[in-house]
Amino acid sequence: MADVHVLGIRHHGPGSAHSIAEALEIIRPDLVLVEGPPELDEIIGLVSDPEMAPPVAGLIYATDEPRIASFYPMAEFSPEWVAIRWALSNRSLVRAIDLPAAHAFALRMDSEPAASSAAEDDCGPEPGDAGPPAQLQDPYRPDAIGMLASAAGYSDAERWWEDAIEHRHGSPLDRFAAIGEAMSEIRAVDDRPHNHPDVVENTRREAAMRRLIRAAMREGHEGIVVVCGAYHVPALVPAGFPPASVDNKILSGLPKTKAAVTWVPWTSDRLSRESGYGAGIAAPGWYQHLFAHRMAQNPGNDLSSTWLVRVAHALRREDLDASTASVVEASRMAAALASVRGRPSPGLAELDDAIQTVLCDGSPLPLAFVHRELTVGHGMGNVPDTVPTVPLAADLAASQRRLRLKTSAAEDTLVLDLRKPNHLARSVLLHRLGLLGVEWGRPDRAGRTTGTFKEVWALQWKPDLAIAVVEASRYGTTVASAAATRVSEQARDAGSLSELSELLAMCLLADLPDGVGAVVSVLAERTALQHDVPALLETISPLARTCRYGNVRGVDITEVRKILDATVVRVCVGLPTACAGLDDEAAAAMRRAVDTAQDGLTLLPGLPMDDWHQALAAVAGSDRMHGAVAGRATRLLLDAGLVDRDDVAARLSRRLSIASPAPEAAAWLDGLLSGDAMLLIHDRRILQIVDDWVDGVHSDVFDDVLPLLRRTFSSFSRPERREIGEQVSRPDKDVEMEELIDMDLAAAGPAILTMARYIGWEAIA
Amino acid sequence: MTDIQTFPDVVRAHAEHSYAEELTALATVDDRPRPPSWRLSPWAVTKYILGGTLANGVDITPKYLGSERLVEIAVASLATDRALLLLGVPGTAKTWLSEHLSAAISGSSTLVVQGTAGTPEEALRYGWNYARLLAEGPSRGAMVPGPVMRAMEAGSLVRVEELTRIPSDVQDSLITILSEKTLPIPELNTEVQARKGFNVIATANNRDKGVNDLSSALRRRFNTVVLPLPDSLDQEVEIVATRVRSLGEALELPADLAALSEIRRVVTVMRELRSGVTADQRTTIKSPSATLSTAEAISVMTNGLSLAAHFGDGTVGAEDVAASLVGAVIKDPVQDRVVWQEYLETVVRNRPEWKDLYRACRDLETSN
Repeated sequence: MADVHVLGIRHHGPGSAHSIAEALEIIRPDLVLVEGPPELDEIIGLVSDPEMAPPVAGLIYATDEPRIASFYPMAEFSPEWVAIRWALSNRSLVRAIDLPAAHAFALRMDSEPAASSAAEDDCGPEPGDAGPPAQLQDPYRPDAIGMLASAAGYSDAERWWEDAIEHRHGSPLDRFAAIGEAMSEIRAVDDRPHNHPDVVENTRREAAMRRLIRAAMREGHEGIVVVCGAYHVPALVPAGFPPASVDNKILSGLPKTKAAVTWVPWTSDRLSRESGYGAGIAAPGWYQHLFAHRMAQNPGNDLSSTWLVRVAHALRREDLDASTASVVEASRMAAALASVRGRPSPGLAELDDAIQTVLCDGSPLPLAFVHRELTVGHGMGNVPDTVPTVPLAADLAASQRRLRLKTSAAEDTLVLDLRKPNHLARSVLLHRLGLLGVEWGRPDRAGRTTGTFKEVWALQWKPDLAIAVVEASRYGTTVASAAATRVSEQARDAGSLSELSELLAMCLLADLPDGVGAVVSVLAERTALQHDVPALLETISPLARTCRYGNVRGVDITEVRKILDATVVRVCVGLPTACAGLDDEAAAAMRRAVDTAQDGLTLLPGLPMDDWHQALAAVAGSDRMHGAVAGRATRLLLDAGLVDRDDVAARLSRRLSIASPAPEAAAWLDGLLSGDAMLLIHDRRILQIVDDWVDGVHSDVFDDVLPLLRRTFSSFSRPERREIGEQVSRPDKDVEMEELIDMDLAAAGPAILTMARYIGWEAIA
Repeated sequence: MTDIQTFPDVVRAHAEHSYAEELTALATVDDRPRPPSWRLSPWAVTKYILGGTLANGVDITPKYLGSERLVEIAVASLATDRALLLLGVPGTAKTWLSEHLSAAISGSSTLVVQGTAGTPEEALRYGWNYARLLAEGPSRGAMVPGPVMRAMEAGSLVRVEELTRIPSDVQDSLITILSEKTLPIPELNTEVQARKGFNVIATANNRDKGVNDLSSALRRRFNTVVLPLPDSLDQEVEIVATRVRSLGEALELPADLAALSEIRRVVTVMRELRSGVTADQRTTIKSPSATLSTAEAISVMTNGLSLAAHFGDGTVGAEDVAASLVGAVIKDPVQDRVVWQEYLETVVRNRPEWKDLYRACRDLETSN
């Protein structure tokens, strides 16, 4: 009969890892069983590969649907990692025991049929693809030791392990026995009903573990060590096993799917809880320090002092003062705090407080830096080249097959008609890959067409794109989810509002509703903090376009609309102040911004145009505003029919008086007149005003401002100028004549009606 | 100054007098080790500040509503021999906390140096009784010890208020006191050595203008604790309500503050503006240059109370608080006005139940 030791650990607990290392040296088993799906057996041998560097994660995904996946991250201080390394270097066998992922995935697919059907049809919007795709679906792994620690008043479970377990029990085997007893107590008070989903899942998993342990015992090993989460210990001690038939009954008839397995590089940052990994740990860097400290077994080195010295070094690298004297003070402070809080020795919480108070002058900012640099750390793992392929590549290959897109080393031209569903799906895929940095297709000029449904791509597959796919795989397991995650990261890092608007447009093209959501939330924050009115003005147009056309692509635009409304209001409030005291350059920029905002505002109904016009009126009405902006504002109001002809004439003459400086006057005139020449030609009001002024002005003044007029009109092309000239040279009466032109309304009726329908004037029809 | 007496009709009694019973009760149950010449153990001091119920059934009222962590850090700092610097914007209970800490630890909160631009070195060290100086020449009898020197001799805590307002050269005379724990008296060729239990609690305002920043030599001798503005809306409403009520009683204002809704609204406005995000975390807004601390919410409410009592119907409403609210927010007439208008138009206007406040604020603007 084999001698089975069940060692309960805390996942990612350096204390547990250290005890495991000691226990394995004492027991020296010839078989080590580690908690984890048996699929991991395939790749478990790679752990001893010299190129393998933690943190890494075992990644298991459903072959048919890579979106369904689980990560098993391991760091150097993970007890599982320590156990696997020990077994491989001591020529013992090592295996993973748990419910096979093949069953777990199939069960998960059954429980979310809606999401999986959406994933089969990659063209449509995918509600299930939001956020971190795989981590949230990790198996139920309760941190029972963490619960015990917090019940004992510890914020740091590792300190509890050291104080309550290691200091009290000399032998590592005694420690694990004590843990087992504590867990029996915890499980005895668990009053969740039998049909609670977590309980059901746990029962299945423990039945599967027991089945694998029974099989291992039958193989005739001398010593077997089971390394599992502490919570499972009472269920896995062979003496307490239920009859095998009970477990077989639980496990019979479970659905099954195909699963593939690989190692992927992991980062300290993703180990930490902040990046959304459920079973994660808050301070991987600190745990690494604890683990290294324990393994070094150097009693002369004080744990908190060595940590504080590292902190001081990190601060000095950033040119922040951290003298040795302060480190000594911080160390004393941490000890004093621990005694005020009634703890036997300072933990991370006490050290953090001491660092902030003594080394950082009470400021939380350097502490946040320390947290980023040391407490979490920048460790990045590495996996050997021999590991199997990643799910993103599998998903890409599947999409390529489905869309009949072949990869080829030669450059191909692909012409897409976006009205066809398959072509649209191809375009979406290429846009998403572009966002992921996988530059397979390059958008090409669509030639001489004004239609928006034609897209031309130049396709060329290069070998290094495979690497790009692997790199992009850290964003997600499918092209869509990875692209959405990438976009949200880019949005967070975007420097300017225009970059964000650009991203928003890309999200629409790549059909990423989740990406749109992420960009929009960043946009909301940035626009709210933006004090610069021109920048705000420039966001109006892309936002309005998103609202106008995002609808067509099924994007939820209510949030965008909210930002747009708020932005417009804020622009209207700030515009008059922002336009005062501008120099030429700033005024030109402001004029452009006002123009784009006007374009955007006309796209959508229901915007507060009255406020906008009031703001424009305030700009136009003041003589102190820079000419370029004031002139433009006057023109926009004139177009909207909100300002009198006489008013404009009076302003024109005021602005073009001798007293006002020539460049100012020219800028004003330019602001008033520039734009599409056709408007000037057909809407004679403006020309008429200028013409009247020329008529009435004194000849000396006219001589002075003539160059200004010439300069303004020179921006039009020669035929346009000729046309304008002809218009002006016609007698005045023509204006009225044109309006009274003899038309056969009855004959024109149907044409007008159709036209009206096109531009949406239902009321007329 | 040595014969401080308490009279029942003083406007404001010292902490150690108003809470004498609590301090005695704590001292009787406190069996934990006390640092030299501390009246209470660090545990009991934290208990006194944060409040709670003792084993013998005595209720301790909370003196500081806020993070337990910060109070622990402050007490632990004083238990090591490092001086404590409490930093924070105005109205974050810095002085309040320092007074209660010294009352609990040394049993007296009266050793205070009030920092001003004109604080002389004598206030930190010692002065002379010139009549005796002329009559007897330099002697201990002719010296007038300052609060710091007396604290050193007694082994107790001394408070320095508004440390950064004190001129830099005067500040620096603290360096020797803090690092060597001695105060040299060159005139008598002697020195005063601090007895165990001596320590300094300084307060400073980190958002003030025209202050003298601490030299790094001095700064290094302080453990710095930054006191934040209250965490939650409810907590801040509670603080404002308690303080406004007690101020209203002191000023004998007849107005009615029965409904907390007006306080809640003012506190919400202040919190939203200073945090730059609305309470529901959905909209980001700009922050004005004003601090908008709890203390300002208290003064806005007190002002509203007084308006309602003397000119209104006796109940505090939107129009009573609007004027002082706008005044509190708009400190810079150009920038802050834009911020306030944006807030008014994008946030206040969209809250149907805030219609009266919106109207009151708009009315103010048009009448200006």
